[in-house]
Amino acid sequence: MSAPIVLGIETSCDETAIGIVRGRKLLANVIASSVEEHARFGGVVPEIASRAHLEAMLPSIDKAVRDAGISLKDIDAVAVTAGPGLVGALLVGVASASGLALGLGKPLYGVNHLAAHISVDYLTHDLPTDPTIALLVSGGHSSLLQVDDITSTITKLGATMDDAAGEAFDKIARVMGLGFPGGPAIDITAQSGSPTAIDFPRGLTTSNDWATRPYDFSFSGLKTAVARYLESTPNYAKADVAASFQESIVDVLLQKSLAACKATGIDSLVIAGGVAANSRLRYLAEQRCEKAGVRLRIPSPALCTDNGAMVAALGSLMVAAGRKPGPQAFDADSGLQVERVAL
Amino acid sequence: MTISLAIDTATSRTIVGIIEGDKVLFEEFHEGATEHGFAITELVIKALEICPKPDQVVVGMGPGPFTGLRVGISVAQAFALAREIPVIGVCSLDAISIDQSEYTVAIDARRKEIYWARYKGGVRVSGPAVSKPSEVDNFIIDQYPNLQKLVELSTLQSVTQPMYLRRPDAVPTAERT
Repeated sequence: MSAPIVLGIETSCDETAIGIVRGRKLLANVIASSVEEHARFGGVVPEIASRAHLEAMLPSIDKAVRDAGISLKDIDAVAVTAGPGLVGALLVGVASASGLALGLGKPLYGVNHLAAHISVDYLTHDLPTDPTIALLVSGGHSSLLQVDDITSTITKLGATMDDAAGEAFDKIARVMGLGFPGGPAIDITAQSGSPTAIDFPRGLTTSNDWATRPYDFSFSGLKTAVARYLESTPNYAKADVAASFQESIVDVLLQKSLAACKATGIDSLVIAGGVAANSRLRYLAEQRCEKAGVRLRIPSPALCTDNGAMVAALGSLMVAAGRKPGPQAFDADSGLQVERVAL
Repeated sequence: MTISLAIDTATSRTIVGIIEGDKVLFEEFHEGATEHGFAITELVIKALEICPKPDQVVVGMGPGPFTGLRVGISVAQAFALAREIPVIGVCSLDAISIDQSEYTVAIDARRKEIYWARYKGGVRVSGPAVSKPSEVDNFIIDQYPNLQKLVELSTLQSVTQPMYLRRPDAVPTAERT
């Protein structure tokens, strides 16, 4: 018997994404993004995203099935992001997944978006990967996690106390007039700048912070510092500001991740989420992990941002681990905690 | 006779039924303006126990509060896709059955407004539109779409887009003051 085929649906933010995997093999990864519709608003508008999800849903499922070279009837299970995310956006995915699962008569797994981000790495790298420390960084989340079993046991070590890392990228890019989304814009602008040109603050890294909240992040102070610098420096060098700002974020993320590896004795680090596509983070992570003797795994950039393959991947791992699907009827949970891997 | 799985989530109710011609084989609703997501799956499971293989899906396309409305449409279209059966959209207001020759029906549109339409001799003569209640005369608001009528109308109309009637509220950065 060949490995089960799982279709994953992801609609927690502005991407309508469908992924199909057979076991750990990626068969299709279709992403319809409404990002261009949001750009002129400077951020994601929930109602626009929800409308776009409904419009893109059937064509995306159709395309994924064709890309995978299968028919819908071949699918053994459906997985969907149940949360966290924008509730109206999540509901389109959950309801579509439910309709599909009922129509096909196949089980439905409601899974956690954050756990899915980490699990996508299991598609690209060799098993086994547990236990591992996971740094999850995106536009909506910045968390440091200890993953003992990706299908059941995740512990939150720390998280951001204010902005998510990706959010800080968006906001600084907006102030600098670099456009939305800010992550790629700053990454590109920073290529020709110096990361040490301006000494921006490293949030929550005083000795007191290391003693009391070693794995939490804060980016609002950095944001203010950059805004002040821009105001007081009329002819600032964009590339240097972008590079130095990016360095501050990346430096703190990696310092804390490696501290978590050391403290827990876990010599494995997975970096996932949209910010994991950042080239400076990938470069520095490789260098520092090698030095620290930590095995580093980062999914390919295309699988770092929101996608359906990660949802299918987590669903597939749950099937492989023999986990039973939760209740057939469930609601989207916009505030789903990372400890709940699945409903 | 064609057997329809009928779904409407344009109001505070999640309504699901199995309709065969003039026979209602199953009909149940769940009251709760923010509970469509959970309720619909439970109700469709029950409906499929009565009739596991409907020939088509008929769904109310609104107008109605957006989030709940999309739940019904999402389930309907994904189920139909999986079963390779047709899905037909109908205006939810048209399916509200009132025993009068002339009447206006309305659905709560939130934000102190209503979605409404006016009918004469069984035909919609005005609307659907969204307005303040003070701008619409003598409307009936405490009625809900009737699934049998919804299915009946599916032979006459085919609404392909959700009837939002309102644009998303968001102001482009360039137009902010």
